[in-house]
Amino acid sequence: MAEEKLHKEPKKKEKGQSPMIEIKDLHKTFGTDNTILKGVNLVLNKDENLVVLGRSGSGKSVTIKCIVGLIEPDKGEIKVFDENVLNISKSELNAIRVRIGFLFQSGALYDSMSVRENLAFTLSKHKRDLNDDEVEKEVMEALENVGLAEAVDKMPSELSGGMRKRIGLARTLILKPEIILYDEPTTGLDTITSREISELILDIKNKQKTSSIIITHDMACAKMTSDRIIVLKDGVIHAEGTYEELEKDEDEWVRSFFQ
Amino acid sequence: MILKNTFTEIGETTIFAKKFFKEVFIPPYETKEFLKQCYVIGYKSLPLVAITGFIMGLVLTLQSRPTLVKFGAESWLPGMVALSLIREIAPVITALICAGKISSGIGAELGSMKVTEQIDAMEVSAVNPYNYLVVTRVLACTLMIPILVFFADAIGIIGGYVGINIHGDVNFYRYLTQIIQSLEFLDLFPATIKTFFFGFFIGMIGCFKGFNASNGTESVGQAANSAVVTASLSIFIIDMVAVQITDLFF
Amino acid sequence: MEKQSRYTWKLGMFVTIGLLLFIMAVYFIGKQKNLFGSTFHITSQFKTVSGLEVGNNVRFSGINVGTVEQIQLKNDSTVIVILVMKEEVREFIKTDATASIGSDGLMGDKVLTISPGAKSTKIIEDNGQIASVDGIEMHDIMKSVKKSVDNIGVISDEIAIFSHSMNNGNGALARLVKDDKMANSVSNTLSNLETGTKGFSENMEAAKSNFLFRGYFKKKEKEKEKKAEERKEKQEEKKEKQEEKAAKEKEQKEEAKKEKQEEQQKKEEAKKN
Repeated sequence: MAEEKLHKEPKKKEKGQSPMIEIKDLHKTFGTDNTILKGVNLVLNKDENLVVLGRSGSGKSVTIKCIVGLIEPDKGEIKVFDENVLNISKSELNAIRVRIGFLFQSGALYDSMSVRENLAFTLSKHKRDLNDDEVEKEVMEALENVGLAEAVDKMPSELSGGMRKRIGLARTLILKPEIILYDEPTTGLDTITSREISELILDIKNKQKTSSIIITHDMACAKMTSDRIIVLKDGVIHAEGTYEELEKDEDEWVRSFFQ
Repeated sequence: MILKNTFTEIGETTIFAKKFFKEVFIPPYETKEFLKQCYVIGYKSLPLVAITGFIMGLVLTLQSRPTLVKFGAESWLPGMVALSLIREIAPVITALICAGKISSGIGAELGSMKVTEQIDAMEVSAVNPYNYLVVTRVLACTLMIPILVFFADAIGIIGGYVGINIHGDVNFYRYLTQIIQSLEFLDLFPATIKTFFFGFFIGMIGCFKGFNASNGTESVGQAANSAVVTASLSIFIIDMVAVQITDLFF
Repeated sequence: MEKQSRYTWKLGMFVTIGLLLFIMAVYFIGKQKNLFGSTFHITSQFKTVSGLEVGNNVRFSGINVGTVEQIQLKNDSTVIVILVMKEEVREFIKTDATASIGSDGLMGDKVLTISPGAKSTKIIEDNGQIASVDGIEMHDIMKSVKKSVDNIGVISDEIAIFSHSMNNGNGALARLVKDDKMANSVSNTLSNLETGTKGFSENMEAAKSNFLFRGYFKKKEKEKEKKAEERKEKQEEKKEKQEEKAAKEKEQKEEAKKEKQEEQQKKEEAKKN
């Protein structure tokens, strides 16, 4: 049932405009027998927030890490902006990476740098012609977008978990990406902070017209942010649909996520 | 099995190190980070190296003195102390100190960056983490360790002077003259060349261990620990090879 | 940016001082080894260089003025040594200077010593050659040491023989030391001597009473008496000589004379009293 749906869906959308990300038959095995991905097919359309659900170890993170080239899949095809990222040179891959934002689970702020340096670092690596004032302006703008302008001179160790996530998001946004990949953005945060982050994700989508893939276990977050949800099970897409559709899915296992 | 793992690790380190020679010539050159690392590795290690160097000079003098006195060759003391400091003690002790301080520091730093996905974050923001983190650190180590060794030499010689003056009164100028008279370029140059290798290995092993930390907090400690052990061991191996090469050609 | 400049100067200072230390070391060692500054070369031929090595010091009047640059074998009995020396000492080294190899210090480092010649006033040229004096080899020293040791051996042997013959031999000295008869005859001699002197003193008394009786006679008389006395003395000496057949040592004669004189004085004093 689910598989049929899968094959229909991408084709339908392709007629309108080409998808931002298209993954076909993705396989990945770690070690000799730890197979994580067994043929994942996935499409991210423009201006869409795609939430990926699944149990821990179902291969959600591996999938999005394959997209940005952190993990090399064994088999399959990944197209980002209509370019096959598996067959391109390092510099071409880097050109694509600049257009993709990736928010790590922990925020992944550079410990040795202040918030300002964290933001300016990425910026200065890609827009080398900016002078100090322009960098400062962009940094402050990105921080204001996540509502943390006052934290600019703090070190990452002085920040709370929620702040780290938001600074991480600001660092991702500073390059004005077209696609943002969120790796469990609300994990480890309290409900209120989680909601703030979820609101932020929606806000960014509306303001910056980004397309996003959001990996999460947090159903509140999924409900708020998702345009479409896919459920990964045993290395393949098990179910797909909107929040409301999946909530009433006939499959007991899928429904269990929503309880 | 252990043997196989060891060889695998040596192989991986070699591949990792090979990348250095490729990346070091490829722009962008991370000058700012390089200078920062030079500061951290060189300047910040100076107090530690200075104290160790001073004590080594002092102790070496006090320990060698009775033997030389027995042979009536006490006047050889400055020359002998300076010779052993410059040829062997200062380079190896400095390198070991730096293996403890710098190699473990780099191992822990990069290890925690790896574990908290900072290295991945760098990678996906299209910054080459090898270039930014490894090349700068290894280069800084390679260039700063020899300078630290010069400091250790000089301070060790001062320590030796203090050691000699515990038992007698020697004019400092006379002391220096005696040292310079007993030294040759062959004492200075091979010792200096080998410190570059010490520096390279200290940096490279620290980076390799940090970069290859698996995910998990305890692996950060492991990375730091095995960086120190491997770096110290490699220092002795390099030293042995260096002595044999020096012996062979000079 | 500000943070960077805070450490940049420290880093700069660190690197500068470190490199300066290295450069200083290179400079001073180089200066010591004559690699810098103007130099000139001298060659000299030796039969043997006694373990001289490249890099050993060259001394002139006890001052280090250069080093050994090269040592080559010319043929089976000639070694050419090339020295590199400070230009400033060239004016002091004349063409008749000589080179010799000696040891320096306890550890036996070799040094090449240049000794000034006597006559020449011509300054040596660059690459000039000077004569050599073959150095004292270690085994030469050992030879002379061995000779001394041998001599000492001979001497101690002789001492041993001497003391042996003293104890066991038949020489005069040995007999004097060892033989009882000899000792007895010496003591007999001594007692004879005693009796002899007694007789002599009696004669003397007679002579002196004579002298008193003939107190009015003048010098002639006195001279006569003296002659008589001398005659008597001679006679007595003859007697003594006959008695002292075995031991006629001068000392005893002297003793006898002394005793005679003393007794003369005593008797004179007694008569005056």
